[in-house]
Amino acid sequence: MTIPVSAADWIVINTELILVGTAMIVLLLDAFNRRISDRISPWITLVGVVGGLVSLGFLWGQEYTGFAGMLVIDSFSVLVKMAILFGTGLAVLLSVDYLRREELAQGEYYGLLLLSTVGMLLLTSSANLIMIFLSLEMLSIALYVLTGYARMRPRSQEAGMKYFLLGSFSAAILVYGVALIYGALGTVDLAGVAEALTAPGILSNPVLLAGAGLVLVGLGFKVAAVPFQMWTPDVYEGAPSPVTAFMSVSTKAAAFAALTRVLVFAFSDLSGVWMAVIWAIAALTMIFGNLVAIAQNNIKRMLAYSSIAHAGYILVAVASANQLGIQSIPFYLIAYTFMNIGAWAVVTVITRKGEEGVGLSDYTGLFWRNPLLAVSMGLFMFSLAGIPPTAGFTAKIYLFMAAVNANLIGLLIVAVVTTIISAYFYLRVTVIMFMHRPSEVSAVHVPIAAYVAIIIAVVATLWLFLFPNSTQAFTEAVWRMGL
Amino acid sequence: MIAELVIFIILGIVAVSSAFAVILSKNPVYAVLFLVINFFALAMLYLVLSAQFVAFIQILVYAGAIMVLFLFVVMLLNLTGAIESLQDKLPAQRWLAPALGMVLLVEIAVVFLSGFFAQVPEASELPEGFGTSAPVGMLLFSRYVLPFEVTSAVLLIAMVGSIVLAKRRP
Amino acid sequence: MDLIRNHILSILIFLPIAAGIALVIVPRRYAVFIRWFAFISGLVAFALSILLFLWFRSNMAGWQFEEFAPWIRVLPRVVEGETRYAINYHLGIDGISLFLIMLTTFLTPVAILASWRGITERAREFYVALLLLEGAMIGVFSSLDLILFYVFWDAMLIPMYFIIGVWGYENRIYASIKFFIYTLVGSLLMLAAIIYLGLQNPAGLTFDLTELVAADIARSVQYWLFLAFGLAFAIKVPVFPLHTWLPDAHTEAPTAGSVILAGILLKMGAYGFLRFCLPLFPEASVHFAPLMIVLGVIGIIYGALVAYSQPDIKRLVAYSSVSHLGFVVLGIFALNIQGIQGALLIMIAHGLSTGALFLIVGMMYERRHTRLMSDYGGVWRRMPFFGAFFIIAALASLGLPGLANFPGEFLVILGTFAAANWVYALLAASGVVFAAIYILWLYGNVMQGPVEKPEVEAMRDLSVREAFVLAPVVIFIVLLGVFPGVVLDRTAVSSEAILEQVRPDESRTSLGRGAWAIEVRGIGTHALRPKTDSPQPVPHFLVEGGEEQ
Repeated sequence: MTIPVSAADWIVINTELILVGTAMIVLLLDAFNRRISDRISPWITLVGVVGGLVSLGFLWGQEYTGFAGMLVIDSFSVLVKMAILFGTGLAVLLSVDYLRREELAQGEYYGLLLLSTVGMLLLTSSANLIMIFLSLEMLSIALYVLTGYARMRPRSQEAGMKYFLLGSFSAAILVYGVALIYGALGTVDLAGVAEALTAPGILSNPVLLAGAGLVLVGLGFKVAAVPFQMWTPDVYEGAPSPVTAFMSVSTKAAAFAALTRVLVFAFSDLSGVWMAVIWAIAALTMIFGNLVAIAQNNIKRMLAYSSIAHAGYILVAVASANQLGIQSIPFYLIAYTFMNIGAWAVVTVITRKGEEGVGLSDYTGLFWRNPLLAVSMGLFMFSLAGIPPTAGFTAKIYLFMAAVNANLIGLLIVAVVTTIISAYFYLRVTVIMFMHRPSEVSAVHVPIAAYVAIIIAVVATLWLFLFPNSTQAFTEAVWRMGL
Repeated sequence: MIAELVIFIILGIVAVSSAFAVILSKNPVYAVLFLVINFFALAMLYLVLSAQFVAFIQILVYAGAIMVLFLFVVMLLNLTGAIESLQDKLPAQRWLAPALGMVLLVEIAVVFLSGFFAQVPEASELPEGFGTSAPVGMLLFSRYVLPFEVTSAVLLIAMVGSIVLAKRRP
Repeated sequence: MDLIRNHILSILIFLPIAAGIALVIVPRRYAVFIRWFAFISGLVAFALSILLFLWFRSNMAGWQFEEFAPWIRVLPRVVEGETRYAINYHLGIDGISLFLIMLTTFLTPVAILASWRGITERAREFYVALLLLEGAMIGVFSSLDLILFYVFWDAMLIPMYFIIGVWGYENRIYASIKFFIYTLVGSLLMLAAIIYLGLQNPAGLTFDLTELVAADIARSVQYWLFLAFGLAFAIKVPVFPLHTWLPDAHTEAPTAGSVILAGILLKMGAYGFLRFCLPLFPEASVHFAPLMIVLGVIGIIYGALVAYSQPDIKRLVAYSSVSHLGFVVLGIFALNIQGIQGALLIMIAHGLSTGALFLIVGMMYERRHTRLMSDYGGVWRRMPFFGAFFIIAALASLGLPGLANFPGEFLVILGTFAAANWVYALLAASGVVFAAIYILWLYGNVMQGPVEKPEVEAMRDLSVREAFVLAPVVIFIVLLGVFPGVVLDRTAVSSEAILEQVRPDESRTSLGRGAWAIEVRGIGTHALRPKTDSPQPVPHFLVEGGEEQ
């Protein structure tokens, strides 16, 4: 017999194939000639990522379904995939000098980074609960290893272990949920689920509700929503900075794509139930993330809590579950990718060997030592706080509009109040950088690759504010299409 | 039918008693070996259900690969001396475990008595080749070809990852 | 020329921003070039705003120099065959915006020139911040799209925050954070209200002011939205209980920062009330007007009293702003033509007179490095030339007829008489008396008396540059005092349009048009007779034979 893979199937996974191929090249090159591999593997990886972006460019505005409905390409997934690939590319730029500084092996690192990215891309397209589980595992296992990659550093080991244990646990919960949903509905296809839910009386089936709840827990863990956020600060702090940069944006993007697809598209008939749950989770996540971030003196932990808080903001869009909400999610994810990776890029540059120098005090008077770096960091902080003229602001108004449109006034007020709270700790970074004088005026050494990453992030943060339409016009298709 | 029932009862007794033996034996090596017996008994039960493929996978993966790994770890760590000290770390377990076990038992009893199984339809005639590796393979390479391939990538990641984490410093 | 004429607002906004960005790439060692470049960019913007003034048609109702470009595509809708986005780059001005823009472009080069010597560290970044600030401020005064307005409103915070926080005095960090958070609290609530308002539009999501003023919003919704907008504006003005950020920010900011803060940023709150609160929420404005009037009166008296008790000169001037802005709030919520026109005049006059006072304090600080009144005394003997400027600014600030503040204050008091209780008018008028007390006290303590301190002995009179800083401001103070009609003529139509929105049922007449300047000066006999025939809004006791009416 022949394996039935149609042309559409190939188109649907072409981005993933490019990246898997690149990963193989990087891994094999490392096995055959480590010296050459150390020199060129980051650039091969970048070529692969750019190739992936180009292939996404060809998919722009098109819709495909592949592998018997397991994967879908639509404008929503293309945009989120772009966010993921931007995250990967920028993380690679940060890793080049980081790995050298920390004396870590190169080949496997990029291989794992790429394979993890593939997992994220698949997750974004998945329209089948089994595929969601598998791709989640794919991205997670690679990330567990990358988190513990600096294995000579106990912090990194600890973080890897913690992430692994809690992550496996959450994956198990997710599978259990999938099994229950299958038991209740007899299908794991999201389209099938949506169809099965129209049957009378099915919505109150306890097995179905338990299954949906467990799936929500599993995905909530990945997006770091309260109360499944406990791992985040430790893992973000312990992992190598470029890895944290990568996972704080790309994992979140992929997991949110899956969450949106599952809740808003597949379980839309159940929205009466999950809406209230997501409402509560979103409010708790925003409040918790922002309040705890105030107390942090370690910039990595502060950014970790800020990342939790941003998960809360995106959940507002999920909770509103209307056209504006769905449109705002890819935009928010792309904007968040650039501003957050930008901030992590500065952190990576400031940090010294062995992840030393991550206290806020290490940023004292950065403006007087390296103005460009300080101004960039300031811009990222304002963007994260949602103050114009930055992409973060545009993302926030989309979000607020979605919430008002869905009549979630309570949630809007929580979002506004927590935004004010967040301004305080983001401002604190700028105060330390600009308004305190440094004790020693030594220049900060910034590797060229990291500079490129920071400048790309700065330009994108401003660009998305000035010209947000390219993404927006495009996502309007999402809503019309449904699944 | 009678023969089937007899086989089922024998296998059930073996499975349950070996499971008890796993948790009761003080020597971890014995425990692991009892676990092997348990896995084999389960595999046989699958066979009784005409699920041949699952039965062989059970033996290959669990009784074969995973148990060997367990044995290796147990022998490498040589835990015999440490057993006694482990025993009373969590005293609440002694009371909690039987209590929870009772709860489970009651639950199962309720399910049985409520006539749940009366709803289960009579087993119909099985299709040709049910439970053999052929239809499973067909499905894996047609409808589920993508999950299958993704799984292979996941395994690759796991392999590369374990090598990265375990190898000596360059 | 047509190109400039059609896009003059965009040019005014983006010229300073572009100049600021261009400055970033100039190497730091060309300090002189950087200063001159910033100053000349400011002057060019001022020249452009004079063009704006000349091209402005004072009798035309509606928006002038409109510019429109689609910006953010959200829930697009089809209007008259073309797709309209919800958020657009929509600019346009009326008479009210015109003078505030001119004030901005005028004060910015003055502030740049005033920083010539005072700012030595990271001077390039300082001028960049000032220029970016100027662009954002002009944007605030010319936006006709609510989101665009919000963008400029918030973006303006960032450079001001750094100007205070990086180049300010000892307590600068506390002051800058307080300034930022206070403003952000108000503005984020306003953002929520803006979005809510935009979705209320019956014809579909829009944030266009010209469209939203026509939308009929339920009374109860209006109340909430008015409060949300009003809080943002009230913090900025600042209205009495929300003013506590102001003394800190003004005192700790460098001279240029204080000038811009007092001169322009405070006006944005008042501008917001006029531009958004009154036309968008007319019923709520009428409903809350008594409250705002009371707060305005409290502000006038409270600001004056607290100013009197300040040992720190800069703080004194800062509190005098609270008092002056109380007049503005009072005038706006008198909801009649006198009040609004008067409030506008005070806004401009206060920008000039208080700006001048902050410049003067800055010059003294540069010589003595202290802001305490007790460290001075007899300065006039050492700096006679400086003293002349000081006395004009001080007298303007206390409302001497013939100088900038007087016509506005007078009109506001008239408006209050006509609109509200005479008690409020009387209390407001007493504010002028208080102003005389603290201003004269300040002038007397600093300038007059014998020279007792050796440091004062060493103070040198104004340099040529400093004279060039103060002279234009003082000239405009005098000009505005003598010819308030130049302003009133051009704002009359716009003010009437706003009142038309708030109280469409009442007949009303303009108090503007030409003859004004003379009439205001000839107050004694028949002040404020309107040119048109309808006698309605003029307080009867001020018109000849008023008793018979």
